[in-house]
Amino acid sequence: MRALAAFGRFEAGRLLRNWKFLAITVGFPVIFYMLFLGDHQAGRITDGTVPWRVYLMVAMCTFGSLVAGLTAAGGRLAGERLAGWSRQLRVTPLPGWSYISVKVTATMLVILPVVVLVEVVGASFGGVHMPAASWVELSVLMWVVALPFAVLGVLIGLLVHPETAFPVVTGLMFLLGYFGGLFGPVDRMPRGLQTAAHLLPTYHGASLGLALLDGRGFPVESCLVLAAYTVGLGLAVLQAHRVDERRGVA
Amino acid sequence: MSTAVGGQVRDSALRSSKHALRFDGVTHRYGRHLALDGLCLEVSGGETVALLGPNGAGKSTTMSLLLGLTRPQAGTVEVLGTAPRLAVAQGRIGAMLQTGTGTGLPSHVRVDVMLRLVMRLYRNPAPFDLTVERAGIGRLLRRQTHQLSGGEAQRVRFAAAIAGDPELVLLDEPTAAMDVHSRRSFWQMIHQLGKQGRTVVFATHHLQEADQIATRVVVINHGKVVADGAGATLKAAVTARQVRFSCPSAQHDRLDSLEGVTDVTVAGDCVVLDSLDTDATLWALMRNKVDFSHLEITSAGLEEAFAFLTGSGEGADNGGAP
Repeated sequence: MRALAAFGRFEAGRLLRNWKFLAITVGFPVIFYMLFLGDHQAGRITDGTVPWRVYLMVAMCTFGSLVAGLTAAGGRLAGERLAGWSRQLRVTPLPGWSYISVKVTATMLVILPVVVLVEVVGASFGGVHMPAASWVELSVLMWVVALPFAVLGVLIGLLVHPETAFPVVTGLMFLLGYFGGLFGPVDRMPRGLQTAAHLLPTYHGASLGLALLDGRGFPVESCLVLAAYTVGLGLAVLQAHRVDERRGVA
Repeated sequence: MSTAVGGQVRDSALRSSKHALRFDGVTHRYGRHLALDGLCLEVSGGETVALLGPNGAGKSTTMSLLLGLTRPQAGTVEVLGTAPRLAVAQGRIGAMLQTGTGTGLPSHVRVDVMLRLVMRLYRNPAPFDLTVERAGIGRLLRRQTHQLSGGEAQRVRFAAAIAGDPELVLLDEPTAAMDVHSRRSFWQMIHQLGKQGRTVVFATHHLQEADQIATRVVVINHGKVVADGAGATLKAAVTARQVRFSCPSAQHDRLDSLEGVTDVTVAGDCVVLDSLDTDATLWALMRNKVDFSHLEITSAGLEEAFAFLTGSGEGADNGGAP
């Protein structure tokens, strides 16, 4: 337990002290959000029940946590594996499972400020007005919903070489973002793509946030899909980590 | 060396001489490559053992097995009286692994922060200042890990290996990225570790340096132990003495039949005899009235012994374990 706590503090400190990394990870979704806000034509589109400005903010919260989840874990973890640091940790008493769980937790820690900052921009420039309680609820929800993204980031980090991590992360970011309806509502897409969107965690992440705000009822489907993704990716992470441990000799 | 079956827990003296590590018929292959071929090896507590062998001889696999990073496909590996993974979890082993091109350290973190983390992973770590002193990294503490040179990173990794105050220290090619000067001071540190009563096992190519520090040298080739003993014993065991002299009328065949001689090299006036018994060879030279001058007897270095042992892998099988 002591080892786990020490490693958790170390990882969190290392991530939060890396200003350049944080600025890019947090700044990117915010700038993206600003660009969308500047596009006045987009203001006419709605997702039916929710005003566009609310839709956009929730979508950008989801996109922001996706970006943070993939970049905080993916490339960095791949780099650590190549450098031999994760192997060095494996010959200390730190249990293997705590390495993985700390990676996921630290990634979640980076996601939180992204969610909050997107909301701050939404409230100050995005024209979103809500009671304080709703802001708190939305923040917590959007943060929890980001868990599969953090797990996906760790999985990428365990599977790829640092040099391929960047294209993989960027590709997934835009594919999951676009087809999950984060850059524009899904109902404007062709039917086939709409069906596909219902299979993506990004779509359901945003849906949960929107459901909270428009009171359209508890979206059971979204919860199930996100839970399935978290469990599925989690199992894949465990398997990838086991394979990595067995590899032993470099 | 071998403990009686019934006397395992008779007294503390026996217990302290219990094996630090034990390989029993360990076989391991990667695909078609046979890395270890029924390896048998026992190391007692407090020994400083050098593991020598050419690339691909099975040294790194041996290290991996000792740390439980790899599980043996056949045979058993025991470390500090228990399973390797358990000994690691108990914090009784410290290790410095080969890192290839990487530094083996996390990036963007200060050396002291990293070292304190490693310390906290162990239940009974050595005091921070002591570890810093033992590894000689006082100057590096405030530096960022990605700003270290290759040799500096090695020292920091060495500090990480001993931070937990482990009973057994494993070092896989610890001086790989170092220049001669840093290598020398590094071996000094390893020597000190052994003096503190720890068991140290290191794999290396630097035979002479290994010879100076190790209390025992184990030569591995083709996944087997081909020689095992103190550095000096090893040298003696391998022909390992040469008689050199000048002789204008040297006849190869005549010299070859002299007592003790195993090999003859004649180059112009210069003659080199490999001999198992230099005294006998000298008497024979005189008896046969060989017209020699500038005679010199040299002991073959560990380097030659090593080349001899690993170069004739097939021949060594005869003298090795059945």
